[in-house]
Amino acid sequence: MEEGGVNVIDLTQGDESFVRELIALGADELRECIQCGKCAATCPMALAGLEFFIKRIVHAANLGLRDVLLEDSSVWGCQSCNRCVEICPMDIKPYEVIQAVRRAAMKVESCPANTYEGLRNLYRFGHAVFPKGFEERRKKVGLPEKPPTALSFDELRKKYQEVLKQTILEEIAPFPLD
Amino acid sequence: MAKVGVYLCHCGENIKGAIDIEELKKYVETLPDVAVVRNYVFMCSDPGQDIIKQDIKSGNVDRVVVAACTPRTHGPIFKKAIEDAGLNGYLFEMANIRDQDSWPHWHNKEGALEKAKRLVRSAVAKVRLNEPLEDRYEDMEKSVLVIGGGVAGMFAALDLANMGLKVYLVERQPSIGGNMAKIDKTFPTMDCSACILTPKMGEVAQHPNIELITYAEVDDVKGYVGNFDIRIKKKVKYIDWDKCIGCGVCTEICPSRVPNEYNFGLNQRRAAYIEFPQAVPKKAVIDESNCLYFKSMKKTGKPACEICKKGIPPKGIQGCPADAIKFDDKDEYMNIKVGAVIIATGFKPMPKHYFKEYSPHSPDVITSMEFERILSATGPTGGELKRPSDGTKPKTIAMISCVGSRDERYHPYCSKVCCMYMLKHARILKDKYPDIKLYLFFIDVRTAGKDFEEFYVYTRELGVKVIRGGRVSVVDVKPNGKLRVRGFDVDLCSPVELEADLVVLATAIEPPDGVEELGRMFTATCGREGFLREVHTKLYPVETQARGVFIAGCVQGPKDIPESIAQARAAASATAALVIPGKIKFEAIISEVDRDKCSSCGVCVPLCPYTAIRIVEYKGKEKAYIEPALCAGCGVCASACPSRAIKFNGFTTEQILAQIDALTEA
Repeated sequence: MEEGGVNVIDLTQGDESFVRELIALGADELRECIQCGKCAATCPMALAGLEFFIKRIVHAANLGLRDVLLEDSSVWGCQSCNRCVEICPMDIKPYEVIQAVRRAAMKVESCPANTYEGLRNLYRFGHAVFPKGFEERRKKVGLPEKPPTALSFDELRKKYQEVLKQTILEEIAPFPLD
Repeated sequence: MAKVGVYLCHCGENIKGAIDIEELKKYVETLPDVAVVRNYVFMCSDPGQDIIKQDIKSGNVDRVVVAACTPRTHGPIFKKAIEDAGLNGYLFEMANIRDQDSWPHWHNKEGALEKAKRLVRSAVAKVRLNEPLEDRYEDMEKSVLVIGGGVAGMFAALDLANMGLKVYLVERQPSIGGNMAKIDKTFPTMDCSACILTPKMGEVAQHPNIELITYAEVDDVKGYVGNFDIRIKKKVKYIDWDKCIGCGVCTEICPSRVPNEYNFGLNQRRAAYIEFPQAVPKKAVIDESNCLYFKSMKKTGKPACEICKKGIPPKGIQGCPADAIKFDDKDEYMNIKVGAVIIATGFKPMPKHYFKEYSPHSPDVITSMEFERILSATGPTGGELKRPSDGTKPKTIAMISCVGSRDERYHPYCSKVCCMYMLKHARILKDKYPDIKLYLFFIDVRTAGKDFEEFYVYTRELGVKVIRGGRVSVVDVKPNGKLRVRGFDVDLCSPVELEADLVVLATAIEPPDGVEELGRMFTATCGREGFLREVHTKLYPVETQARGVFIAGCVQGPKDIPESIAQARAAASATAALVIPGKIKFEAIISEVDRDKCSSCGVCVPLCPYTAIRIVEYKGKEKAYIEPALCAGCGVCASACPSRAIKFNGFTTEQILAQIDALTEA
């Protein structure tokens, strides 16, 4: 968007190399999207009023509008419900486009603050998101305090962290990986 | 005394379900002159028809009324059955007690019965007064005129010629080929247009049954289907085509420069020119209005230039080696007789000057046909991609669809082919110049034909940007010479703009110049949008209201090459079905003037939609005469004649009045 309140997008600012980057990051069939709108019709986040809902993200990606996409945090709102993948008639896997944009965004450290928190939790505990006070609730219904995941098994968690250290996380993690 | 047989059809339950057939039968038996009344479940079936035939053969019946469905579909069936039994087919009436009675009055049984009684009574009243009439047969000229030498005209001519008919192919340009010859590659196969068309052009020129007459127009039409008498004007060429060998010398040494219409003014031609390198026939013509010889003759009476003929001797440059230049040439006329005509005069691309919002004055804002010429190897740039303004190669091109189409201010229709050819242009460009930036603006992307969707997705995969969302609002010329394109991208939910080096407008397909006048010569009409009108868009797409005159290709409406060829071959087939039998039937339901009663008022003449009525000398006076072959039996003249001098055979005044009386009787 231009400064000074003129709401117009300059298409020639689109970067073809960004399109190729996204394709390389997993959005293989990005260009085949014919903008039919079926993904947007099923997306629960579009219903919730997300500004850059899935169809808009795919079109902006096709136009190579790197800055427009990375400046908006909508791509982090995707709930991974997979409805768009199931319904896409051109089989382009819109979810993979979202993931590719996220990967591109992480490389340039363009993501909301809670993304990093989730990433840190994922590394430390094996869970990106968990509700506060989960121990009491589990005890109340007669379950062991900790779930049978990396939270309960230290050795497993350490092995899991070793695997994560061998991914791109090593490069881009804004927190120490110990 | 007539012996009327009345046959009541149950039509399964369609009629019997609402009308009490037994009651109706009892009533009809009481009508005057009714000799026999029968009923059957399906009168149109073989056993049903046999019932009627039996009565005729045994002499019980000499008039027939069938009370059943609609004569539009079943009239001919019963007429034929009656004729097979030996009775004149016009001694027959149908009362439609299904579409006009049982169906609309299904829930009003009493009313339906009452109406059926009246309808049958009316048919009986008429048939009693019917006269035996004879259909006429005339010999048919076994030749066809095809007007228009584009792809549709050529394919129609070839099919007809291959069926053994003589074909005259008349084309108003010096060469055949039409719009298709101007195209670089064709979708969806990406065939080179000239490569697939030129063999056909050669075939047309060499076919023994095709007489190719180019640089000519239809001048006058007389006659009617089966016996058209047509005068063709062969326009003056100033070059003797019997001698011209198409060497091109005159086109190279002629000093006059004229904007080349073939390339929409993007380059120049000479006054002596050959239309394009693959022209068929490959012969030159001289454009009188730009020729220095004629211009100087007009001004001073002395010729200032005869270079094409004499060359430039001081420089050792020879003139025409075949001595074909003929400054005293004149228009030539020829008369031909044909049985039928196919009009295939194509389309005209809409020029850009109407669209002020797109800066049409800029040389870098061009129409898609102009762009096609730039891409063509035989075009003004030899196939090199160059901006018309400065000859540099454009790096960013914007293409805009629906310019003049889908627009109430210009043409409300969709021109059909633009979405596909925009994608085609994009594909051609990306193949040659992978880094070129292309932005295609669409309202909708209409790629409906065979293999078109695949073409669309493939083009997207090349990285071509497709912007949907209504039209581009404006194209401005910036101070640096580039073009700013402003639009709205519905998928991005945002106004968008870009700076382009070249803007291509997909302007509408328009009817060709002069199509209305040409149609009128044949009493074929144009529709609201200016294209020649077919009789029925679904059932009869190649017939016009003028019998024996067919249409094919874009003159009927915008369409692509596969459809033009399919329609041309359909028109050839329909024409052949008419012409090959050798005889043409004229139905007996026509009007006739009783010239002794005619008062010469002339009211009927302009009323006839088929221009069938003329004033002709009769017994020393001028009387109206209806050409039987042109009369379509509409009845307008008969009802308008103040002297009651016109008899409408099959629907006479007495017959109609008898029907009215029967219907309105208490």
